[in-house]
Amino acid sequence: FCVAAGLRERERETERFRDLILLRPMDDGKLSVEGFCVAARAFADKWKRNKQMLPPWSWVPLINRTLLVPNKEEGYLSLEKIILKECPEEESVNEEGSMDHTILEIPEEESLDYCALVQNVEKEAHYYDFHVVYSASYRVPVLYFRGYCSGGQPLSLDVIKEDLPSGSLGLLLESKWTFITQEEHPYLNRPWFKLHPCGTEEWIKLLSSGGCQMTVDLYLVSWFSVVGQAVGLRIPLEMLN
Amino acid sequence: TSSSVIFPLTKYEASSISMATTESPSSVRKVVVHLRATGGAPILKQAKFKIPGTDKFAKVIDFLRRQLHSDSLFVYVNSAFSPNPDESVNDLYNNFGFDGKLVVNYAFSMAWG
Repeated sequence: FCVAAGLRERERETERFRDLILLRPMDDGKLSVEGFCVAARAFADKWKRNKQMLPPWSWVPLINRTLLVPNKEEGYLSLEKIILKECPEEESVNEEGSMDHTILEIPEEESLDYCALVQNVEKEAHYYDFHVVYSASYRVPVLYFRGYCSGGQPLSLDVIKEDLPSGSLGLLLESKWTFITQEEHPYLNRPWFKLHPCGTEEWIKLLSSGGCQMTVDLYLVSWFSVVGQAVGLRIPLEMLN
Repeated sequence: TSSSVIFPLTKYEASSISMATTESPSSVRKVVVHLRATGGAPILKQAKFKIPGTDKFAKVIDFLRRQLHSDSLFVYVNSAFSPNPDESVNDLYNNFGFDGKLVVNYAFSMAWG
């Protein structure tokens, strides 16, 4: 029995990796943990190449944790210290001449004149961290996020909603597929907000029903095209190439 | 050895080509949008439209919302992508258009209540 089970497990693993290598399309809208790692790396890579106005996502590996699949690298994607809303009193930094973007790149801390800011800016700057984490129970990615002031004080959900573009708010309020809950970050032992993943499987399946086979390397691009809208982050169309 | 000879275009020929391929400031290219029901959403009686390429995708979304009397729609294109409402229809057509049209899929997203 043990030998047979071992062989079966080996077969399953080979198939899992063959799926990844061949980038077979997703059948059920879900990702394996290995698939998530592949998708995350591909997403971070495309983002870096196409979205120069924002910092790149970093891959944060999980070490010394109870890994779902032993000896396989697990981790999550992290994008931190993002400013979502332009404060009207502040001068634009790193804007590169685009008035339409609501996203500014966070200026280097050395270049910020905190004394001047405290005097002149009525509104404190709000910063946002975003993590894309794999959910083993739902087998889909989940977006965790939090907001905070320059002093580190966390922002309440009401304040965060004020920073989101109106389209995002609409998405969050209207649809059961994108709603926010607050819970402890799976790895950081602090309360974060998250976009609940319960609807993800359904809408991912819809997305991939449109005549185009979604492959693992593009999974997070497609996923983020929906999820990003709920939190005011935008995906450039070129990321699909 | 043979060499190719290039005959310069007559003025008439040149202006015909330029009309077909470039936009004069006074005319705006229109894009054919085909609205496609998915996930059990109702099929529109009229599903094909021609709209200015400079329009934002938001216009298509708003139109669908009005036609279907629903604010919670899930709207996406054939490349497994849900475009931001700010994208121009021209850009979407250039990236996702096929066979002379832009197919826009819609479904009801799960609404509250």
